[in-house]
Amino acid sequence: MAFPAFALYSFLYLYPSFSNIYYSFQRWDGVTKPEFVGLHNFTYLASNDDLFMKVLGNNFRFSFIVVIFQTLLALLFATFLLKNTKTTVALRIVFFFPTILSSVSVGLIWTFLYDPNFGFINAMFKAVGLDGLALNWLGDGKYSLYAIALTQIWFHTGQMVVIYVAGLQQIPQELYEAAEVDGASRWQQFKSITWPMALPTTAVVVAYTTIQTFRAFDLVYSMTQGGPLNSSDVLVTLIYNTAFSSYKWGYASAQSIILVFVVLLLTYLQRRTLRINTGEK
Amino acid sequence: MKAKGITPFSARRFGAVVAVAFALVATTLPSATASGEVFGKACSTEGISTGQSTTSLICTMGSNGKLTWTRVRLGSSSAKPVAALKAQPGTIEFHHWRPEDKVVLQSIIDKFEALNPGVHINQVIMNSVDYTNLAYAKISVNKKAALFVTSRGGQFDQFMAGGLMKDISSNRYISQNVISSALTPATVAGRVYGVPYQSLFNNPLYNSEMFAKNGWTVPTTWSQTLAFCKTAKAKGIIPFAWPAATRGNAGQIMNSFLMNSAPDLATLTSRIAAIDTGKADLTSDWFVEIAKKYKAMNDAGCFPDNVTGYNDTVAPADFASGKAAIYPTGTFGMSTVTKLNPSMVGKMKMMGLITVDTKPLYQGITNNTFILSVNAKSTTRDQSIANAFLSFLATAPIAQEYAVGTSQHVSIINVDYAANIDLLNTSDIMGKKLLLAPRFLFVNVGTVRNPLEDALIAIGGGADITKTLADTSKTIKQSLGA
Repeated sequence: MAFPAFALYSFLYLYPSFSNIYYSFQRWDGVTKPEFVGLHNFTYLASNDDLFMKVLGNNFRFSFIVVIFQTLLALLFATFLLKNTKTTVALRIVFFFPTILSSVSVGLIWTFLYDPNFGFINAMFKAVGLDGLALNWLGDGKYSLYAIALTQIWFHTGQMVVIYVAGLQQIPQELYEAAEVDGASRWQQFKSITWPMALPTTAVVVAYTTIQTFRAFDLVYSMTQGGPLNSSDVLVTLIYNTAFSSYKWGYASAQSIILVFVVLLLTYLQRRTLRINTGEK
Repeated sequence: MKAKGITPFSARRFGAVVAVAFALVATTLPSATASGEVFGKACSTEGISTGQSTTSLICTMGSNGKLTWTRVRLGSSSAKPVAALKAQPGTIEFHHWRPEDKVVLQSIIDKFEALNPGVHINQVIMNSVDYTNLAYAKISVNKKAALFVTSRGGQFDQFMAGGLMKDISSNRYISQNVISSALTPATVAGRVYGVPYQSLFNNPLYNSEMFAKNGWTVPTTWSQTLAFCKTAKAKGIIPFAWPAATRGNAGQIMNSFLMNSAPDLATLTSRIAAIDTGKADLTSDWFVEIAKKYKAMNDAGCFPDNVTGYNDTVAPADFASGKAAIYPTGTFGMSTVTKLNPSMVGKMKMMGLITVDTKPLYQGITNNTFILSVNAKSTTRDQSIANAFLSFLATAPIAQEYAVGTSQHVSIINVDYAANIDLLNTSDIMGKKLLLAPRFLFVNVGTVRNPLEDALIAIGGGADITKTLADTSKTIKQSLGA
């Protein structure tokens, strides 16, 4: 019974994954015969490729910002939208709505919003006298990554709100009632009940968001193509360009192996940290 | 090719001009008529051309410095075009990256299918970026992709190396319907592997009505260009709507910066090759001079504010709405502009962006948008369908339908552009000495050309020249070594 599923899984996942490992030890342009180069691709990445290191740094910054703000915002919204009233259900739908949009559409919409000369964001700042905040959001390397991070947060927070609402609704109401009897404030209730009880959900949200930030290809590509001067490049856009623009498929395979290890390591560290906090073994 | 009524020396000079100018376009109706001049009188505008079939007249600067009509023969090696081939029944895929041509191509396909019962051609369309990156991988494993397009240079070479290009040299429509010199980008060792079908001119478009209204003259030197920028900007007009945030179209301007940057074509080619292979840095004097000109344009106010965030959605809109005087991309941008503002029909003309104050080596840029080829790995029957369709595209009425429908010039003889005033109005660039777009001589697109263009864009946006070029050089060298 399991064979067809395993065969499909092998064809769609295992075979490409092992092929990727194989090609990471080759020099291959996608056309001519691959040439075995041992660990050269990996050693070159580690010792000679400043661009890779820069992009890796970009991706860490992007992930850090998105994970922190997206998680906090999702938790905040979820605490306000916990009860199943008509208003909160409607608001949950509103918050979730961006998630169903196509990422390229989202990228294009936000590109218009960020337009330095005609965009809504700068127009808004100028209208309230904050001309200094009317920046060249996507065209200036100092801001482009953060501008995309904000878009990513807007895009996916609603999804995390739904996960948090489901998690927070599992917390027994009696705990809050007892805390109220003891005279605990809303903040004390949040600190002592909601946050500890929400940690398992937070583990899921953080892990999922981290993975999302390491595969944020379409948003980055549709908004800046990684520019200006690679300032908003993340690992997946770099890998794409290495393979499909530079035709260095072996080298791109090595980059993607590093990406897998980075995501695995981050996920492991997050899980470990959250386990310590929840006292899980 | 021989010009009557001029000395042999002049004939050679004109031959060079004419070879470039008329290699790419079969015929043009009298632009003189469009501009109110009467054909037959002494020509007064360099580049104005006329002609209905295999010969044409062009208004060209002679060696004596005077403008004269010169009769030229078009590039086809045979005077009589042949009819389209018949196709066997069957279904093939036609892969390309021209979504904007889908409707007109479908109309042509419908006609072809009506003439050839049982034949079906399905268009498979990707956007140009995806096509550049994915087409080879997809077509090389798809025998049904019997007809496909490639870009001149790197992509064509890649398909050749992969054995996907069928030799179509022996077909009569190749020698008799296609302008022979237009075949150069698809010719390898004397054999023809495709038809470079659409000809375009990667030069700035300008709003002729705005220029006339303001009493501006089209700049023909570098100093005039910078002076024009200051004049236009002072009037609140964006001089050059340069879409710097969209690398593909922002890079078009680089062609103009390259074309007169070296004393001759061989030197230019070798300098580009040196950078493309990592033998020279972007910090070389030659390239620094090019970068300085980007900076100079920025300093002169040629570009809009925050130009590095100015994309190719906003730029044509500004040009179409009269906020910008010049849209520096190419003939391929005309249809977008007229869609945005139909009243721009007939108002666009083309200029060469000259970056020197001395006599320029070249006055403009031309290029082949794509090369149509038959898949060598398809079945014989599918190849014959693709080849027959290619021969159908190479007939004048069909090429004319394509040209008028897409607002682009084509490399097929006997095409009449009278139905499209914008094609007529921009045809005068064909009378100038044009260079095949040198941007595409950078064959390492991802490793060299993209970062190099990004650096020039950043510099055009005000970034420091020395640091930007040094950093980009390092990135390029490291990427080439990987």
